Amino acid sequence: MSWFYDTIRTSIGKKLLMALTGLCFCLFLIIHLIGNLTLYGGQELFESYVKHLHALGPLIRVAETGLLTLAIIHVSTGCFLVWQNWMARPVRYQVNKNAGGRTIGSWTMPYTGFIILIFVAIHLSNFHFIDHDRQTVFQAMTATFTFLPYVIFYTLAVVVVAVHVSHGFWSLFQTLGANHPKYMPAIRGLGILFSLLVAAGFGFIPAFVGFIMN
Amino acid sequence: MTAKTINLTLKVWRQGRGEPIGRLETCRAENISKDMSFLEMIDVVNEQLTKDHQEPIAFDHDCREGICGMCGAVVNGRPHGHERETTLCQLHMRHFSDGDTIVIEPWRARAFPVIKDLVVDRSALDQIIQAGGYISVNTGGAPDANSLPIPKDTADAAFVPAACIGCGACVAACPNASAMLFVGAKVSQLSLLPQGRPEAAKRVSSMVRKMDELGFGNCSNETECEAECPKGISIIQIARMNREFFKARFS
Amino acid sequence: MKPDVTSDLTIDPKLDAKIPAGPLAEKWDRHRFDIKLVNPANKKKFEIIVVGTGLAGASAAASLAELGYPVKNFCIQDSPRRAHSIAAQGGINAAKNYANDGDSIRRLFYDTVKGGDFRAREANVYRLAQLSNHIIDHCVSQGIPFARDYGGFLDNRSFGGAQVSRTFYAKGQTGQQLLLGAYGALMRQVAGGMVTLFQRREMMELVVEDGRARGIVTRNLITGEMETHTAHAVVLATGGYGNVFYLSTNAMASNVTAAFRAYKSGAYFANPCFTQIHPTCIPVHGTFQSKLTLMSESLRNDGRVWVPKKPGDNRKPKDIPESERDYYLEAKYPSFGNLVPRDVASRNAKDQCDMDKGVGETRLAVYLDFADAIKRHGEGAIAGKYGNLFQMYEKITGENPYQTPMMIYPAVHYTMGGLWVDYNLMSTIPGLFVLGEANFSDHGANRLGASALMQGLADGYFVIPYTIGGYLAGASFGKTHTGSEAFKTAVNVAEQRVQKLMQVNGRRTVADFHRTLGGILWDHCGMARNEEGLTKAKGMVANLRKEFWEDVYVPGNAADFNQSLENAGRVADFLEFGELMIDDALARRESCGCHFNTAFQTEDNEALRDDENFCHVAAWEYAGDERSPLFHKEPLTFENVALTQRSYK
Ligand SMILES: Cc1cc2nc3c(=O)[nH]c(=O)nc-3n(C[C@H](O)[C@H](O)[C@H](O)COP(=O)(O)OP(=O)(O)OC[C@H]3O[C@@H](n4cnc5c(N)ncnc54)[C@H](O)[C@@H]3O)c2cc1C
Ligand code: FES
Repeated sequence: MSWFYDTIRTSIGKKLLMALTGLCFCLFLIIHLIGNLTLYGGQELFESYVKHLHALGPLIRVAETGLLTLAIIHVSTGCFLVWQNWMARPVRYQVNKNAGGRTIGSWTMPYTGFIILIFVAIHLSNFHFIDHDRQTVFQAMTATFTFLPYVIFYTLAVVVVAVHVSHGFWSLFQTLGANHPKYMPAIRGLGILFSLLVAAGFGFIPAFVGFIMN
Repeated sequence: MTAKTINLTLKVWRQGRGEPIGRLETCRAENISKDMSFLEMIDVVNEQLTKDHQEPIAFDHDCREGICGMCGAVVNGRPHGHERETTLCQLHMRHFSDGDTIVIEPWRARAFPVIKDLVVDRSALDQIIQAGGYISVNTGGAPDANSLPIPKDTADAAFVPAACIGCGACVAACPNASAMLFVGAKVSQLSLLPQGRPEAAKRVSSMVRKMDELGFGNCSNETECEAECPKGISIIQIARMNREFFKARFS
Repeated sequence: MKPDVTSDLTIDPKLDAKIPAGPLAEKWDRHRFDIKLVNPANKKKFEIIVVGTGLAGASAAASLAELGYPVKNFCIQDSPRRAHSIAAQGGINAAKNYANDGDSIRRLFYDTVKGGDFRAREANVYRLAQLSNHIIDHCVSQGIPFARDYGGFLDNRSFGGAQVSRTFYAKGQTGQQLLLGAYGALMRQVAGGMVTLFQRREMMELVVEDGRARGIVTRNLITGEMETHTAHAVVLATGGYGNVFYLSTNAMASNVTAAFRAYKSGAYFANPCFTQIHPTCIPVHGTFQSKLTLMSESLRNDGRVWVPKKPGDNRKPKDIPESERDYYLEAKYPSFGNLVPRDVASRNAKDQCDMDKGVGETRLAVYLDFADAIKRHGEGAIAGKYGNLFQMYEKITGENPYQTPMMIYPAVHYTMGGLWVDYNLMSTIPGLFVLGEANFSDHGANRLGASALMQGLADGYFVIPYTIGGYLAGASFGKTHTGSEAFKTAVNVAEQRVQKLMQVNGRRTVADFHRTLGGILWDHCGMARNEEGLTKAKGMVANLRKEFWEDVYVPGNAADFNQSLENAGRVADFLEFGELMIDDALARRESCGCHFNTAFQTEDNEALRDDENFCHVAAWEYAGDERSPLFHKEPLTFENVALTQRSYK
């Protein structure tokens, strides 16, 4: 396996790790979003979704372990890259300007990543690491989403996720080598669309829960 | 008609040889003809500094027609200045206005240590090429040039990255000081051509390894490099290198 | 054509060109067989210094290292890839006859000899034409992306007035692509440990010991230190000296220093007055201009050159009606028209401006008009062919050549003169070889377009690897080391020069002197010369040199990265060399190719050769700082071509 280690140790190898784990998170976001969409169908639909999900039992454990591993890889590689990149320019420029290549998404990647990490921790503690015997997910959700500061935090976090994904999505294609003048504009467009969907899909949940369901 | 000459204030990075760090120093550039190139403007300033018995600004340059890749400085935060697909020697003063203040800094990257003022050591780029940026063929014994037809599209595609002048602006522009566009351009050129295929796998692996070793940063697809490349080389070349790399490593 | 026997005294035994016997087409083959070989196991014992990393230097260093010789390779720039060869645009010739239009080795040979106005050696030129084909084969195998046609085969174009299509090209970047190929080969040898690279070094002295070139002294341009290097042979590939004119199309660091130091150490300098002035450059715009930009000659394939008929006409080009335009090249040379050779086109542009028919702000320019071509072929087609050149023109001048005619003027471009070498490319100093533009060998009094790249690569890839072996195998070498007397003296000389430059402490800048020198040479030793002007210029240059050593100011420190000092050293050499050029121009009392002495012209104002008295190479020997250089001649004999008057009517 030394060839494998040799490969992922290179800068392109690390990029590959970021891209593949990122891709998995994008897929996860899609699944998560589809699941959450049941909410818009009302409490019953949502609860049956949660029930079915939990009925998967061990599979869920596997998925969780997988996600955790991916997160560890994504976060630790990301941290390492940020550190290395910082070291690559010990004396910074006095005047910084960009030529139009960077986007908000791209230059904030480490920061948005960090915020997402914190958000995920809080998010999990609110909905996942709760005593499911005392409280259903739905109850937990309605409880949290009526707490205004949290609603604000949640909405902002979702926007941050969207910003992160706006760069991450097309970027992972580029990293995987899928850049072609014919298709790249479409991929970039899709990336924007995807991040908007994520923002809208998740972002309206509190509003929906707070104003419409109640 | 606008005036033919302009006056400018320059803030130039001055750093003596062996000094660990430099500083921005201010000087005036007076009566600069708008037809001059940016380097000619520095020539004028240097003539004046010399007459005043001060040390002129050290800066690299040679061909002054945008092909040798020797010149380069970061002008107001932009490598080679703000004009697209232009080297510093081909940047003309008609793109500046009277009274402008211009900040001039050297390429900044750990892999490009400053030698003096605006002059940096770019031998790291040579070292990357030494790691495999060529086709191993000895002189003599090559078959007739036309015995290997290469589709025009392929030849043209290989020409695009071959236009790289090795100036290092991509590294200077990259927020991470990564050299991926430079390496990608060479890997792409040689991997597109049939002559380059036999060594393709070895080449990409060892060039990438060398690049990492030399302390360049990692690519995070910021795409500043392609926006600043004076030859308009695109990150498509990086994507192609990535493909080549995966092909080499995973097969 | 017998050489002039009356001055036999001037024929020097050192000037034996060592042309192999036998029929022209077999000379090189026979010679390669006759040359002694170095035992492969012994090659690693012979160290070779190659100064220069242009096409000639990089190809030589790489090829020699491939053979097993340890090579040390030097260049001024921070990377070997930046040598001035990188700037060549148009292309490289070869006698492949892929176009099936009647080309052959013999035709390329003939065109080159004739283009050089019969002032080059037949045998050298023939070998060059023979080797041209191998260059293309080798470069393709290196992965150089030459232009191709839709069938996937190599594309050719006609260039610089050639009547066959024999020029291979890679867009407008042929020199760059060829150099990157040679640079790649060089880097491969560096990686393999056979070549040691010394960037940012300037050769200051040649070291000659026991009559052989045994090493060099270089200045480390970063630290200012003098460094010494020993070798069994020294190869100079240091390019041309066009920058003696201050303004030229050469890169800023192009210099005569390396060649001139070799000259002062005993190598003869041949035909120094032969400098090519290229007709299509962007005109000068002001005093602070630092260099001139070439617009590829290929533009003349579609552009029409004209000036207003009326002297002093100030109207905008579009306001001058057809009937008041003088398409002087088409009128004067009906069969070649705008495609006459470079020297002819340049001289005619100068004549027009001398008659006050020049255009533009400085009135030192002529129009190159694409309106007709655009009308005929459409803007798209013209953009396809010249898009990047038009863009470059617009970038520099701020004018759009699709809408208004380009303005062009001649500029110094190439130096046919250089260190004298024999058929083996060895100078008059045993063990000192000279390649590429730095030697004088193949282009006579005028170089054809796309032939310099060919010569540089032929010299480096295919000639020196053989001929250097012949020298090394046949010579016996004493031991030398960098502490020897010869090395100590050379270092001393170099150090003292630097000291002296730093100590003048005068008032004028180096650039100021350089500009003045350039002006003198351009006016009097440029496109047209005459005895009076040359004599005057000689005095002016001598005075300027004196003033330089009394009044130059070099800022900074000698033990530092000091570009003013670098320039000062180069300009100091140009100031001496300029006088040598003038001496040579004065001595050549004829006109030939680029050397146009107004006293010698035909009725149609063409160069009038004097084959009776001047069919020779003029080789100059250094005789001491206070003495005039000694003149020697190598007679040229032509057995395979008839000496004709060049006519492009
Ligand atoms: C703008 C332009 C366009 C041209 N276009 C064409 C064309 O289309 N076709 C064609 O055939 N020819 C063309 N030429 C001519 C051709 O490019 C040159 O003649 C040729 O490239 C010279 O190659 P070279 O190897 O001899 O020298 P160069 O490429 O000039 O290399 C000189 C080398 O020597 C080194 N050096 C010099 N002095 C010293 C020193 N003192 N110490 C240490 N190192 C030193 C330099 O660093 C450099 O590495 C063109 C020339 C110009 C100026
Ligand atoms: S000086 Fe050669 S590219 Fe600018």
